[in-house]
Amino acid sequence: MALSRSMRTCLHSARLAFLAILVSGGIVLQILACALYNNWWPMLTVLMYLILPMPLIFFLGSDTSSMMSNGGDGWVNFTKFLTGTSVVGSIAIPSILKHAGVIGWGALSMELSSFVVFGVAILWFLQMSGEDEYSGVF
Amino acid sequence: MENLALLWGIIGPGVAGAIFGAGWWFWVDAVVCSAVQVSFLHYLPGIFASLAALMFNCVNKDEIGYDYYSPYGDDSEWRVKLWLFVAYVVSFVCLAGSVGLLVQDALTDKGPSVWTGVAGVLQCVFVLISGLVYWTCYSED
Repeated sequence: MALSRSMRTCLHSARLAFLAILVSGGIVLQILACALYNNWWPMLTVLMYLILPMPLIFFLGSDTSSMMSNGGDGWVNFTKFLTGTSVVGSIAIPSILKHAGVIGWGALSMELSSFVVFGVAILWFLQMSGEDEYSGVF
Repeated sequence: MENLALLWGIIGPGVAGAIFGAGWWFWVDAVVCSAVQVSFLHYLPGIFASLAALMFNCVNKDEIGYDYYSPYGDDSEWRVKLWLFVAYVVSFVCLAGSVGLLVQDALTDKGPSVWTGVAGVLQCVFVLISGLVYWTCYSED
């Protein structure tokens, strides 16, 4: 079923709005994990969240195909390395805090769910920007 | 099989970063949750393992090929091999050192706990594996 042009842009902006809702939901969960228990240690995870979308930030201006392609530049590989480290780091920091007894189970589960929400948002964004190259609307 | 190689080229560095991070975060957990102060000696295997992983990633893979003609003359192959050899020696010494520290921690009660020793071994193993994984990503050209 071929969508008309106006329908397609409407769907596109709906997807962008949903993406924005996901990201703000992740941020809300992260802040709630600290505020509800009056314990601001879990904010350390925010450091990891800053490193996580680095390849997107650096290489989205240039062609995204360099990220999805093989081999690639040395810098592309290094930013992917940083992303892998920050993914593990954002799971590890809440777990270490829980293991040391600084936060409780509720804060841990909120941190982990915030991470899952951010992950879904980034994957969705990657899929959307992959589609845009085919449609050529923008 | 071809698709697998391509996919590995795309996500390989990310997997290497994840394994590297896992290694170091295990160590951070052990240091944070340890009841006694962990001495600097226990940090050394992890630091040297990271150095070794960095060292054998600096090598350009086609330099150790058979007909490589380098701009430094015909017999510079031994430099690359020496570099790799030193990297291997450092990594094996780290592994042995961390296992030795684990055994020492398990035997005495006054020093760091068993979890510190186990985390040290895990850190070494993960860091070295991550270096290897990152190295394999370069050959997918």
